[in-house]
Amino acid sequence: YKDLSPGCRLYPFNVTIRSDQQGTCRGAHMVYACVGYCESSAFPSRYSVMLESNFTRNITSASRCCTISKLTKVKLRVECPGGFHHDNIEILSARACRCDMCRKSRY
Amino acid sequence: VNLRKFIGCAVREFAFIARKPGCGALPVTTDACWGRCETWERPVLDPPFIESYQRVCTYNQTQFMTVQLPNCSAGVDPHYTYPVALKCNCGVCVTSTTECIASY
Repeated sequence: YKDLSPGCRLYPFNVTIRSDQQGTCRGAHMVYACVGYCESSAFPSRYSVMLESNFTRNITSASRCCTISKLTKVKLRVECPGGFHHDNIEILSARACRCDMCRKSRY
Repeated sequence: VNLRKFIGCAVREFAFIARKPGCGALPVTTDACWGRCETWERPVLDPPFIESYQRVCTYNQTQFMTVQLPNCSAGVDPHYTYPVALKCNCGVCVTSTTECIASY
């Protein structure tokens, strides 16, 4: 990721789908991810937090992460040899990004 | 260093007030961690349909400092121990040693 500036932005990447392990039918489409640099900090925990955790959690991390705030569906056309084509497959793509909660429980 | 444009994770001065029940408060200035780490989310084809990479600026090497709080009641231990960041890095928030809160 080249854009080394604060913030959280759309970032294009290619998705390729194969119908089976041999890859008989294939489809590819460009979709968007969200990539960026959001603020995070870590500092000494309050006494109540330390007490509650039996003095194990003496650090508090307060952070924001680059997240997808809007998703959209994109139709991907799957082509097979001999001009056949499968039904279009719907895949997800990011439409907007935002520095927000680090929602992953183990963030 | 221009903090508005800073990318990465660094040791930064942090001021807080050390307090616990039964004692007076003591202002403390110490080293903590602050920065901007790379994080991302991307759609994937299989559940849960969104893959995320979330590393945050946190303590990498820690030392502990102990101070004495003023005006403690009889029978209350006046010592107050807090972490000092020697090194910081972008890493997973480890819940065994860290209170991981969503934002600030």
